[in-house]
Amino acid sequence: MKNLLYKEFSLCLPVQVPIFLLFSFFILIPNYPYLVAGFFICNAIFYSFVQASADNDPLFSLLLPVSKADTVKGKMIFVVLIQLVSLVIFAAVSLLSHAMGKGANDAGTDASLTLLGGYLLVFSVFNLSYIPHYFKSPHTAGKRFLVSAVFMFGFMILFEGFMIAAKPLSEVVPFFSLVETYLDVFPTGGAVWIAQAVFFAVCAAIYAVLNIVCVKKAVKSFETSEV
Amino acid sequence: MNLLEVNGLCKQYSGFVLDNVSFSLEPGYIMGFIGRNGAGKTTTIKSMLNLIKKDGGEVYINGLPFDKNETECKRQIGFITGGFDCYKKSTLKKLTSVTRRFYDDYNDGLYREYMTRFNLDENKKVSELSAGMRVKYALTLALCHNAKLLIFDEPTSGLDPVSRDDLLDIFRSVISDGQRSILFSTHIISDLEKCADFITYIKNGKLIASQDVTSFCEGYRLVSGDGAALSGRERYVVGHKSNAFGFTALIKTEDADKFADCRTAPADLESIMIYTEQED
Repeated sequence: MKNLLYKEFSLCLPVQVPIFLLFSFFILIPNYPYLVAGFFICNAIFYSFVQASADNDPLFSLLLPVSKADTVKGKMIFVVLIQLVSLVIFAAVSLLSHAMGKGANDAGTDASLTLLGGYLLVFSVFNLSYIPHYFKSPHTAGKRFLVSAVFMFGFMILFEGFMIAAKPLSEVVPFFSLVETYLDVFPTGGAVWIAQAVFFAVCAAIYAVLNIVCVKKAVKSFETSEV
Repeated sequence: MNLLEVNGLCKQYSGFVLDNVSFSLEPGYIMGFIGRNGAGKTTTIKSMLNLIKKDGGEVYINGLPFDKNETECKRQIGFITGGFDCYKKSTLKKLTSVTRRFYDDYNDGLYREYMTRFNLDENKKVSELSAGMRVKYALTLALCHNAKLLIFDEPTSGLDPVSRDDLLDIFRSVISDGQRSILFSTHIISDLEKCADFITYIKNGKLIASQDVTSFCEGYRLVSGDGAALSGRERYVVGHKSNAFGFTALIKTEDADKFADCRTAPADLESIMIYTEQED
């Protein structure tokens, strides 16, 4: 697996990945739907898949002494590492944003652990909707991203819409006041930290489970694909 | 022990069936894998290597069943396509640094030796290499990890005659130690006549023959005569060509006595393939 990861980072890491990681600084923009930055990370990963397909990476990988299943796992770990690195950067920029005294975000989720959990959910949607299909048909890597983007934007609209709606709805529905008080704020107090940590843990668990499902589906797809 | 054994390989597509293909190859030999474009040569090779999912059959590499020992079998194989077009924008140095990590017995000294022998500059990108140089680079990688079975899919397609001849000389030298074998798919029959010990011939997904080149050629005769001489004996003819001066036909050697009144000549691989493909 170490060798497969070396291959991924040596040959399959396009320049878009480090550049798009800079989109994490969107969190410093006042009143912006920060979840969109997660889409850009997935976009960068998509570029790596398109480049890999153009470079005949599936054939190159399968001629190496590795199984099809390990090829998929290597690619998946590569993707997850990029997503986790971006998550660390998002966290750092969120802290910076708070240190700069930036106020609440009226266009979506505040820079918080809740937002980081949201990124994990966006990544899950991308991974599950894109990666198995790539391994089924690497040569249609480009077209499939359009479908994946619809899923991601659909999810982001729901997530950010929920957070935006929480404020006006909190006056009529008590549940939304909990969301507004505990989830959609930068965590400073103990109870808020706990609430957001639980939310983040749930998102992380969903991310982990869906990634396992994604690998299983991708391996199955790759076994029957024509390289 | 056979270095390669293929038993009953099957693969079905709509409009094409690879039907129960079986053949084997011992160490120290070159086997030409022939057939027209679309006959199923690449499908056979890709099914053997699990690049496409086969519908049936078994493949053994050096006695190991491929399906159960994919990683170990791949260590013993070097697969080289004519148009090596992976990572064209990467330098050979980078590709080598990635590839070598996957092989415990990678030999760097041998790598340098072949790079020098083949006049390859590792700072060049794949896209900067000619078709022949790409094949040589892929061959270098395969030899450096001590691949026992080298599988070439149309390696000489697109090469000029001098480069092709050069490559065929390399093939002979590669197997000279008796440890390695080459399976070499092509539709350029003249290449096989220069270097192949065995041939496996498939037509429309079906195996026509898999045997040594000499006995395969001895199994056929070319007969010629005037037009009338053929009449009544068409059923013994594998394929024929007629013109105003008469006919030339390919027959099986066992039927040669039926054409005792005609001129007969030994058949070469190219004639056998041309007349056999004409059969339908």
